[in-house]
Parts: sequence; structure tokens; C-alpha cells
Amino acid sequence: MINTILRFGLFFIVLVLLQVLLFNNIQFSGYVNPYIYIMFLLLLPVEIPGWVLLIISFFTGLTIDFFSGSAGMHTSATVLAGFVRPYVLRVISPRDGYDAGVEPSMSAYGARWFLIYTLVIVAVHHTALFYMEVFRFSDFFTTLFRVLLSSFFSIIFIFLLEFLRKTK
Amino acid sequence: MRSLLNFLAKYNHLIIFLILEGIAIYLISSGNSYHNARLVKGIRGLTTGIEQKMSNARTYFSLREISQSLAGENASLKNIIERSGVRQNLFISSVNDTVHKQKYSYSSAEVINNSVNRQKNFFTLNKGRRQGFSVDMAVIEGNSVAGVIVSCSENYSIAMSLLNLDFKLSARIKSNGYFGSLSWDGRDPYHAVLNEIPQHVSFGIGDTIETTGYSAIFPEGIVVGTVSSFTKTGGDFYGIEVLLQTDFKKLHFVNAIVNMEKKEQLELENLFQ
Repeated sequence: MINTILRFGLFFIVLVLLQVLLFNNIQFSGYVNPYIYIMFLLLLPVEIPGWVLLIISFFTGLTIDFFSGSAGMHTSATVLAGFVRPYVLRVISPRDGYDAGVEPSMSAYGARWFLIYTLVIVAVHHTALFYMEVFRFSDFFTTLFRVLLSSFFSIIFIFLLEFLRKTK
Repeated sequence: MRSLLNFLAKYNHLIIFLILEGIAIYLISSGNSYHNARLVKGIRGLTTGIEQKMSNARTYFSLREISQSLAGENASLKNIIERSGVRQNLFISSVNDTVHKQKYSYSSAEVINNSVNRQKNFFTLNKGRRQGFSVDMAVIEGNSVAGVIVSCSENYSIAMSLLNLDFKLSARIKSNGYFGSLSWDGRDPYHAVLNEIPQHVSFGIGDTIETTGYSAIFPEGIVVGTVSSFTKTGGDFYGIEVLLQTDFKKLHFVNAIVNMEKKEQLELENLFQ
């Protein structure tokens, strides 16, 4: 138990540093802003209670907000992602259910399952985040384009990190 | 009571979600116009240390370009000194006057954190109230517009970048003096849009766009950029796309300008509004 908490704590710090020091500085055409810190929420154990998950997502978002100087934007998007995660997990559950104590990762349930899972959560998070950022619907399709491109790159980077984590 | 508890137990997930989301929305709305101004005082202190270190590392990689731009600026300053020396000989008595009635005062600062990829971009300067910086000072790079300071702490300032949907600037076409309102459309960091230029005005691609000085923040004649294309929008106005002079991706050494007569001007203007 303590071991798991320590491991996730370390993982959290690594992800936040990666996001703040590396991915926030990717300045490629203004359409591509990958937010990979959401991966932390993806990998939390399946049996974690819903309210704990929500509080963890709240503080994850708040941390990112502090570092990128955007009051509440990341917080609201991340809390939304934390809210939908249990429902997503229920809908896409494997045939024989989830094994206790196994985190929902690629190595446990396969690449295809993990892709669907990542896709849904990242899409929810990015859509909320980017529309919250512009706070208007006048440039609806420009924002949609930003959402799609950024989600695409976030998913690629999350998969890369997942491969790295697996080989470690 | 029992059914209330049952209700709470059944929907605890949803209730906590709504509470946390409520806090987040409150955070957004409480600082919405300047988005992060609220957070500056308490928490920015924690992260600015890290930002300063990152900025130091980044500066190292672009030393060559920085020294080139500084050399250029030096040369143009020397030219100004030459010219003012001539004037000094001609009108000796007026020199004291201009010193006492100096309207704008410049001070340099370094950008230690910057973004161009959001819809509401801000950058952080490494000077604050203690160095005499204050809210509503204009920020320029070389002789082109960069942003406006929106919040100051003891040693740091946050400036709203021109690349911010909330940024509005009064700008005019240099060749004929017609002015309009300049803002950023959120698409890419190289272009902004100048609106409200009537259709009978003639101008061409490549014409310079500069500030008007009406806002009492920016001095007159600071370059914004050049006309890159224009379309006729509804209501007899042109929508002019402006290629920005400032390269926001490379923003590093900037000057902040304070208008010392701003208070006087605004007080007088408020009498008639």
C-alpha cells in the first residue's frame, strides 16, 4: 500500500515536471499543445473510490494551473476527466472484469483496450480544457481543430511514455 | 433525515464532482479578465524561482541573437544621442525643460517566462514594484509592441502579451493616419487583425501599422507591424491582417514604459465622460 503510494507520488512528480518543463514549451504553430499529465489519472488503480479519484484530479489540475499561471482551467478539465473515468472503465471493461490490484495499463489489458481508454479520457479532458480556455463559441471550428491535433499528439506521447514505463 | 443521508451516500460521486468543479469555475471567473492576476501574489512566488532558472538556461542558447539585437539597439541609441547633441547646441534653454517635462520613462527588463501557444498568453518580467514597475505600463521590444503589465509583485511583473484575446490596442496606418482597433484573433503568433478602417481609405500591402498614443499607455509611433493582407468585412470596414514586427517566440530583453502624464490625461478625460 505504502509502496504503491510512493510509486504514484514519484510518477506524479515526473509527469508534472515533464509537462511543465518540456511539453508546455512546445511551441509548434499554436495548434499543438500536448497535455500528458492526464496520464496520471489514467493509471490510478481501478478500485480507487470515486471521491478519492476526484480529489486527486482536483489537486493534479491545481498543480498544473499553478505552474502555467492559468487559474482553474486545468482544474476544471481534470476534475471532469476524473468524474467520467469510472463510467468509461465500466463501459469498456474486459470480458472477465478487472483484476484486483492491477493498474489499468497497456501491459495488463492490451494495446487496443488502452488506446480506447486513453482516447476517451484525453478527448473529454482536451475538449473541456480548450473550450474553457477560449471561453466562447465564435471560433468553434478553430478550437475543435486545436482539440483534435493536441489530443492526437497527447495520445502519441502517452503511448511512448507507457512503452518506456513498461521496459523500465 | 435518513433518506437525506441515503441520497447523499448514493450520489456522493456526483456531489463531490459538482463541488470541485464549482471551485474550479470560481477560480476561473474570479480572475477571468486577467486570468492569472489573482494567483500572482501568493503562489507565483513559488514557481518564479524555477522559471528564472529555466530562463537562464534558455538565454544561454540564444546568446548570439541577443547580442546582435543589443548591438543594433545600441547603434540606434547612439544615433539618437548624436541628434540630440545637435539640438542641445541650438536650444540650450529647452534642455532643462524637456528633462523636467519628460513624458515617458523607459526601463529594461528580462522576460523569464513566456507562452505563445495559448489563447490568453502572458509573460513574466524579472522586475516588479521594488524596481518601480507598476500596472498598465507598456512593454516594447526594440521599437515594437509586446504587451501591457497587468500585475506586479515585489520583484516580478506579469504582462499581458499582444497574443491575448483580451488585448486591445489603438493603432493606425502610418502613411495616412487612419486609426482602428488592433487585436489578436488567436490563430497564430505572427499575425494580428486591425479592424474599423473605413473602406474609402487607400493603403497597400506592406504599409506600416503603428500605435496612436490615444490609450495613454503606449507612446505614439511604436511599430506594430506591416499590412500582410486585407478583406472587406461587413459594415463598410476593412479587416486588415497585420504581420507582427515582434517575434514573440524569441521575446527576451524588453523595455517597459511608464507614461508620467497618464493620470493627468485620464482625470481630464473623465470629466467629459
